[in-house]
Amino acid sequence: MVGGGSTPRPQTANPVVKLRAFTKNYGRQQAVCGVDLDIGFGEIFGLIGPDGAGKSSVMKAVAGVMSFDAGTLDVFGSRIDSERSAERVKERLGFMPQGLGQNLYPDLSVDENIDFFSRSRLVPRQEAEERKRILLEMTRLTPFRRRPMKNLSGGMKQKLGLVCTLIHEPGLVILDEPTTGLDPVSRRDFWTILSVLLREKKITALVSTAYMDEASRFHNLSLFYGGRVIAQGSPDQIMAAVPGSLVAFETKRQSQVLAGLKTRFSDVQARGSWLRVFVKGAGEKEAARQVRQAAGAAGEDIAELRSGPPELEDIFIALLREKKLTSEGSHSAAWLAESSAPSIREVPPNGGADIEAQNLVRDFGTFRAVDGVSFRVERGEIFGLLGANGAGKSTVIKMLVGLLPPTAGTGYVAGHGMLQAPRAIRERIGYMSQVFSLYRDLTVVENIRLYAGIYGLDRKQSRARTDWILEMAELAGHEDHQTEALPMGVRQRLALGCALVHSPRILFLDEPTSGVDPIGRRRFWDILFRLSRHEMVSILITTHYMGEAEHCDHLALMYGGKVVADASPEEMKNRLALQAGQLLEVKTDNPLPAMNVLREAGFEGVSIHGRQIHLLARDPGAAERHIRELLAQKSISLLAISEQPLSMEDVFVYQVMNLEKNGGKTA
Amino acid sequence: MNLKRILAVTSRESRGMVRDKLFFAMAFIVPSLLILTFGYGLSLDVMHSPIAVLDYDRTPMSRDYLHRFIDSPSFSFQGFLKSERDIYPLLASGKVRAVMIIPEHFQKSLLAGRPTAVQTLIDGTFPFRALTVKGYVIGINNAFNMSEFSRYLSRTAGMSQERALSTLSPIRTEVRCLYNRNLRSDWSIAPRLMMMVMMICPPFLTAMGVVREKETGAIYNIYSSTITRGEYLIGKLAPYVLVSICNMAVLWFIATEVFGAPFRGDRLFFFAASILYVICTTGIGLIVSVMVTTQVAAALVTFIVTVVPTVFYSGMFVPVGSLSQAGRIVARLLPAMYYTNIVTGCFLKGVGFEVLWSDALVLAVYAASLFMIGYSRFHKRPAS
Repeated sequence: MVGGGSTPRPQTANPVVKLRAFTKNYGRQQAVCGVDLDIGFGEIFGLIGPDGAGKSSVMKAVAGVMSFDAGTLDVFGSRIDSERSAERVKERLGFMPQGLGQNLYPDLSVDENIDFFSRSRLVPRQEAEERKRILLEMTRLTPFRRRPMKNLSGGMKQKLGLVCTLIHEPGLVILDEPTTGLDPVSRRDFWTILSVLLREKKITALVSTAYMDEASRFHNLSLFYGGRVIAQGSPDQIMAAVPGSLVAFETKRQSQVLAGLKTRFSDVQARGSWLRVFVKGAGEKEAARQVRQAAGAAGEDIAELRSGPPELEDIFIALLREKKLTSEGSHSAAWLAESSAPSIREVPPNGGADIEAQNLVRDFGTFRAVDGVSFRVERGEIFGLLGANGAGKSTVIKMLVGLLPPTAGTGYVAGHGMLQAPRAIRERIGYMSQVFSLYRDLTVVENIRLYAGIYGLDRKQSRARTDWILEMAELAGHEDHQTEALPMGVRQRLALGCALVHSPRILFLDEPTSGVDPIGRRRFWDILFRLSRHEMVSILITTHYMGEAEHCDHLALMYGGKVVADASPEEMKNRLALQAGQLLEVKTDNPLPAMNVLREAGFEGVSIHGRQIHLLARDPGAAERHIRELLAQKSISLLAISEQPLSMEDVFVYQVMNLEKNGGKTA
Repeated sequence: MNLKRILAVTSRESRGMVRDKLFFAMAFIVPSLLILTFGYGLSLDVMHSPIAVLDYDRTPMSRDYLHRFIDSPSFSFQGFLKSERDIYPLLASGKVRAVMIIPEHFQKSLLAGRPTAVQTLIDGTFPFRALTVKGYVIGINNAFNMSEFSRYLSRTAGMSQERALSTLSPIRTEVRCLYNRNLRSDWSIAPRLMMMVMMICPPFLTAMGVVREKETGAIYNIYSSTITRGEYLIGKLAPYVLVSICNMAVLWFIATEVFGAPFRGDRLFFFAASILYVICTTGIGLIVSVMVTTQVAAALVTFIVTVVPTVFYSGMFVPVGSLSQAGRIVARLLPAMYYTNIVTGCFLKGVGFEVLWSDALVLAVYAASLFMIGYSRFHKRPAS
């Protein structure tokens, strides 16, 4: 079932959804091209891919809310080829479109929203009340029944959306990116509730996501890219499609070693002070040996390295490369290492920080968006501000760059007080916002010149910077292209270039990678790495991709306007391992009751991932024995228990749960 | 058709309309606000035009002449000027709209039987208003000439002044304006404003309401459910039609009570015809909403298809009969003209079904076809 070289051919008996050669165009733009897909009864089927990969088009077609151009679609065994035929199966479908609570009615209360859905679905009144009660209980929304939907948090909105979609007990639910923009705690919560509900009601689900790390939540999945399916099957099958191992080690001569390894391996990345290599086709020991050897050739003697299985993103990228679906960056390995500058960050002579926030507070009316935030960003450091939508990240940045006055507290940027000298600060910083402030009707070069003009560069400087930006951001060949027509990834690099036109020493990046595909994200991070190491640019970046956090030298986790943790990614994970223990993955054929048993037994961080259960244990050996005993008592068969590396998401979830447990505010 | 589903949509829509500040304002405040602001601002009567006078003669006769202007309700006297230099600043600043200049020896010349000229300077920036003022000036001047001449005749020919007057003008005009005796423009404008406001507000409300759902994605709740197209459209538009009917009653009240327009026709017929009209204009909003996908586009298109034709082709300011050939055709293609006939007929002429049935029928056909088009263009499985 895994796509090898040719188009993947799914084979499922009596599928709930069956797509063959499915094609969808928007005008001349082809959105989906020849996709085959089978969804079996009762499974959670995932569509994973970056924005614009064609996921939403498939989901809308299956939900019968959008027509398509070629191929066939069968839902519950009936052919969907017209508005009329689509109407016939809608009774058995539930569809939740993309966007946090966008399909709900903001001025209606939680109760009223649910009532609208049950009434429009003709659910008998008494039954509707009963289902509503149970669903609200499960989603823990009961205390908020009278609250207008617009005043709910993102996580609560998505749970309400789920309740509304399930109120008529459909046989198939179609959820379009239900977790995008949620904080990790809400994401986990959402997934657990979804898994339980689907299992209890025997509902089949088609769920899409842009987060690669959610793959383990699915029974089967399709990897989407550019309107095509590049791999299909269970998570294990997809991981097996590109065998290989991941090797990571810490080094002080990061740039040089990185350059050395790049000549040998196609997938090498710097993450914080670590280097991370995906070695294709090699077992863990063999991969470690190869990396040691290659590093040795680059003059680095690796003392300690870790090797393990790759992540889905590595597989995704490897598949794209295999299928030649992606253009590689034009930068040679040498470019990354170029210049004689020392690759270790030098400490500024005064030892001061480039950015310093001191107890920043910002209120919007009665709502405290930022609550006593303090942190320091050292010279040439990549500093990540991590948190969900609405955690206060953008507000912090806007205050530091002088776009928004703080309610209390202060900050220093490039040695200037943000209250006293916002003008001086603005001359020394580059700022790239979520929406890439580019003029879409100008060409690439015109955009750069425009920004050069805005910052008062003369003609000579402007020409020099334009050349530098074209080279740095790999924009060669795109000079005269209209910005409108550029792919997302290129537009992102252009926006970065424009933010750097006046050679600032500090760069503020506000969610620069949302919506960009994994390869684009990696190229972007390569550039950031070089900027921080060679140009000594200090970078403050915000993101809600937990995976990206590992690229940063230092992190601050934000939750509900507060910084809940402030350390390097490694330190954070080590601290979590000390506090809560290692991550254990329990494989069982009956995960739902198993999860309940383990929760009742008092294990921490129990969550469900498809057929597996994750939990934290201080003493893995003892925990394993305990788990085996518990499950045997309940006669739940255990397939395997293994230790897994901790992720940033684990850290985030643990920190926030701890905060809430210790009487902190609730979301 | 399932009534329960229709009611589900209707009750949700009504709650949204009442609770969303923007929609609440559009539904309940804007129509009354529009008729009040337009009604007070649009009065076309030229009364109490401010006038100043420069009297170089200062004789009993010049005062007598001037008092005919000063005492007329058409003018509002602002004072005597001292020199010619004062004239232009006053006119330029708009403090007066006309200035009369009586020359020296005005009385002397008249008594000597020599003709004399009185100059009037009128602010001509609004030609319509300037023409009216000019008309008043000429009229009052003529009356003065007549009375002077008749006095002269009675003195020289020894007849009574009445006799002299009737000899001078054997034919007297006797004009009586039906339906609006005093030609009060607010009487005729207030009912027409009902037409205009109800041409603008329901389409805005409807188009924005439907397109907002498209913009947020809430329309997918409808697309993906078992609610049929017809059920959705009826359920969704019913609150808008109901609110607009209520607004109609409020506007009627404002027109009759605040602006004092007389209502002489058949209330039942007028009410029924107004419902048809409101359904019709709601249908225009529906058509706009199936054509566009963003609220900005909806607002713009609605503005263009409602405001522009209503101002030019409805008989609001210019009677349809006075339009060009092409203009008359355009007017006949739009519903506003028919409702203007109904409104003026019911308010001022006091006629009803017997005269206006054809206009009502056109509105009914219009409403039905708009909804048919809207229904056929609304799909639950669009291409994008």
